[in-house]
Amino acid sequence: MDRELQGTITLPEEGRTLASGEQEFVLDVRTQDMELNMGPQHPATHGVMRILVRTDGELVTGAQPHLGYLHRCAEKIGENVEWLQYLPYTDRYDYLAAMNNNIGYSMAVEAVMGIEIPRRAEMLRVICAELNRIGSHLIAFGTYGLDLGAITPFLYAFREREWMMSLFEKICGARLTYSYIRIGGVFNDAPPGWLGEVSRFCDTFEVKWREYYDLLIENQIFVGRTADVGVIPRDMALDFGLTGPMLRGSGVDFDLRRDMPYSLYEEIHDAGAFKIPVGTGEKGTLGDCWDRVWVRVVEMMESVGIVRWCLENIEPGPVIGDIPKTLRVPAGEAYVGIENPRGELGHYVVSDGDKVATRCRVRGPSFCNLAVVEEILSGTLLGDSVAIIGSTDVVIGETDR
Amino acid sequence: MVTVSRYFNNVWKSFWTTMVGMRITGRYLLQKPITVQYPDERMPIPNRYRGIHYLEQEKCIDCLACARACPIDCIEMDAVRHGKELEWISFTLDYQKCMFCELCVYPCPKDCIHMGTEYAFVTYDRSEFKHDLLSYKGMSRDAKIRMVDADKKKAEKEAAKAAKPAHEEAAESAPEEGAEDAGAE
Amino acid sequence: MGFLQEKVAELGSGTNLIRELLAGAPRPELVPDWAIPLTAVFIGVGILLAIVSLCAMFGTWLERKVSGHIQCRYGPMRAGWHGWLQPLADGVKLLLKEDLIPLGADRVLFVIAPALVLSSILGAMAVMPLAPDFFFADAPMGVFLILALTSTTTIGVIMAGWASNSKWSLYGAMREAAQVVAYEIPLGVSLLVPLMVAGTFNLSEASAGQAGGFGIFGWYIWPVGFGTEGFSLGNPFMIPALVLVFVAVLAETKRAPFDLPETESELVAGFLTEYSGIRWSFFFMEEYAAMFLYCVVASFFFLGGFNSPLTWVFEDGGLLPNVFLFNVMAFVTIVVKGFLGMFVMMWVRWTLPRLRIDQVMTMGYKYLTPLSLLCVLGAGLWEWGKWMIVG
Repeated sequence: MDRELQGTITLPEEGRTLASGEQEFVLDVRTQDMELNMGPQHPATHGVMRILVRTDGELVTGAQPHLGYLHRCAEKIGENVEWLQYLPYTDRYDYLAAMNNNIGYSMAVEAVMGIEIPRRAEMLRVICAELNRIGSHLIAFGTYGLDLGAITPFLYAFREREWMMSLFEKICGARLTYSYIRIGGVFNDAPPGWLGEVSRFCDTFEVKWREYYDLLIENQIFVGRTADVGVIPRDMALDFGLTGPMLRGSGVDFDLRRDMPYSLYEEIHDAGAFKIPVGTGEKGTLGDCWDRVWVRVVEMMESVGIVRWCLENIEPGPVIGDIPKTLRVPAGEAYVGIENPRGELGHYVVSDGDKVATRCRVRGPSFCNLAVVEEILSGTLLGDSVAIIGSTDVVIGETDR
Repeated sequence: MVTVSRYFNNVWKSFWTTMVGMRITGRYLLQKPITVQYPDERMPIPNRYRGIHYLEQEKCIDCLACARACPIDCIEMDAVRHGKELEWISFTLDYQKCMFCELCVYPCPKDCIHMGTEYAFVTYDRSEFKHDLLSYKGMSRDAKIRMVDADKKKAEKEAAKAAKPAHEEAAESAPEEGAEDAGAE
Repeated sequence: MGFLQEKVAELGSGTNLIRELLAGAPRPELVPDWAIPLTAVFIGVGILLAIVSLCAMFGTWLERKVSGHIQCRYGPMRAGWHGWLQPLADGVKLLLKEDLIPLGADRVLFVIAPALVLSSILGAMAVMPLAPDFFFADAPMGVFLILALTSTTTIGVIMAGWASNSKWSLYGAMREAAQVVAYEIPLGVSLLVPLMVAGTFNLSEASAGQAGGFGIFGWYIWPVGFGTEGFSLGNPFMIPALVLVFVAVLAETKRAPFDLPETESELVAGFLTEYSGIRWSFFFMEEYAAMFLYCVVASFFFLGGFNSPLTWVFEDGGLLPNVFLFNVMAFVTIVVKGFLGMFVMMWVRWTLPRLRIDQVMTMGYKYLTPLSLLCVLGAGLWEWGKWMIVG
């Protein structure tokens, strides 16, 4: 009774079927709830994701992501095409980090086959993966600025990404879906002068990175929009199985490159070439949007460090092992998780000795990270919801696969 | 007092970070843009670019290795064999399906299919995306000459053999085949 | 007809000009009396429309070039030299576009809204003097008339948002209403500072008060000025007042970082979501014309108005006194000042991220309003002290 007099209203049960957990909102005026379809075609949903938002004025009282608009049966295709033929499909689920997907799948198949790959191939893989991580984080950072209304950082980010893509174009001929990393190595050695250009890219990027940081990350409006918004506490992050920058933004120091090292990362980490940035709640609460974006932006510089280390230590040699043209993988199964820009990208492949995989399962980081959106969206403002969705950095190609 | 200082700190920070941002954007305003005016000037395309395929038809032996390697089966080829020579009917690549993965290029035993640097492929009709890679249909002049020579040699051999009565039937069939081929062309 | 005739006869110079021109005609008595003021009105509105659309055209071109070069790209380059004809091409495109009214929309309101928005800015533009001797309405309370007329655009925006029958549009309209109400106060209050210094609400008089000093040093913005009467102490609160006015104007004209009604990343296009073609371009023209108008008004009260080195050469006590050239240069001066102001607004837009709606409200009510009140208090005390000491 007192509550009603004070104007505090507990929303009726049917009005908050979308929100989870007991939440009360202090409202001056009770208005009619409005259901709003954000997407599938909406500027802020980063692809064809649809979020059904229940709003009370500017307040979001519940949100439900709807997936599947970009479903292409990637896993099923993996069970129908030959081992090598599936490689181009791996490009296409997380199309912003195709190199990392290639590596994940190739490593899973290599694990079943039990083969070692040449050291130069590993080096090239790491260089490409880290360059692609930079490119992917550039998109994450740029589109996040775009979500918050800052259009210019987006184009600056694309300017550097353009260079990164032309580097990949030189080494493998494609700009987005590379299929560069093959089972057993990489399919082509770096063309002459390529490593030098990568080095120049790193030098330039360090200068430009400072600009991004000053222009957007440190901007007071940006801080105001992201600090204390969409807070994912440490426990919630662990409960939802978040990985990648989402997890590190919540203060959990976990990175597969260091904690479950694969490829050359153990050696690189021992050499001190990179650190794992972890959110500290510097501008607001630990685990807010600012922390997540900050982790991504700082990771770009760490990736530059890794690339530098590889450029110093790369030696000539073969780039692909002795792999038959028609691959027959011995019976067995393997799960390999690698650190994608978005988190843990796991490939689980089962072979029974055939030319075709028996099972090809992908654990997509975006898919798992998106689950938390529903939880943290309710009780925020409409403008915040865009900021929160952007901060999860989902790639819809990968959530739907 | 803390509140007041935070208030003015906020005002100052907003002002200052805006100025920092405007300094960065203002500097770029005065610099030369990095983009190019696309149709007039174009970015250089590296040698390894994976564009529209081209086929060295003379080398191709119609072994179907590329078609088998293709993950989406977008390569279709059809040719008639005349001994060693090929009479080409079609070699189509459906660019509605093709994902430019370059997996078709590596299995080729004769190294005859390549991906070029051409990337613009605009048509008015979907059916035109089924792109024929052949530079000529049927047989090349060289192949024809080679075939005729081979046929002649064969005919001579057959004729030599025809001297023996046991091979009468074989000697009759050889000229007939040659006549059919001539008619098909 | 007598009433109308009386009313329009007050229109003054325009009517007289037409009468003078008609006097030379072979049979002037054939032209009925009431037609003359009506013609004057039509010509005036025509000129205003031309100004508004030219503002919008040059504004869009400038916006695209500025944003392009800030973002390391060229912007439009195809139509004409550096794409200067691009707005014309866009205009043609917008005119030829399908005039779409969504199903379930309130057709009448949907059609009226853009017209209302455009007419309010036309009305406000009429108060702006184009040159010392060329103006449509030299209203004694010029500034406040402009503020009042431009804020009626809000009604049009709300109307558009409501009539569109789209949730996004409704959000945009509601945000616009909240935002404009919040920022009218700091804008009006911080404009009081120059009004106190100038001692007039009239734009031409404010401009005349800043004459001298090579056309630059007489401006009200300088803490120490050098005008027609030699050195004089200005008001140090003018600079913060200009910053406050600038921020409030950004919010009033729905420019980033205050483009909450349009927020393309949240509300698709806000109240413009369902509009297309020429109706959409009306809103667009209003936005750019309002930007220009506010910048010119700010320049009248802070940055010298008609006064610049160009006009100083041709003014009465200048090097080459010439009334005609003086007027032309005065016009050029305010156009340049207006577009310089617009340039800064664009620069800010392409630098900053957008605020959230509650932060917009916070900024309006908790930051700009108190700060502008402080400014007014300080400026008032300063002026009072100056009056007490200097007399």
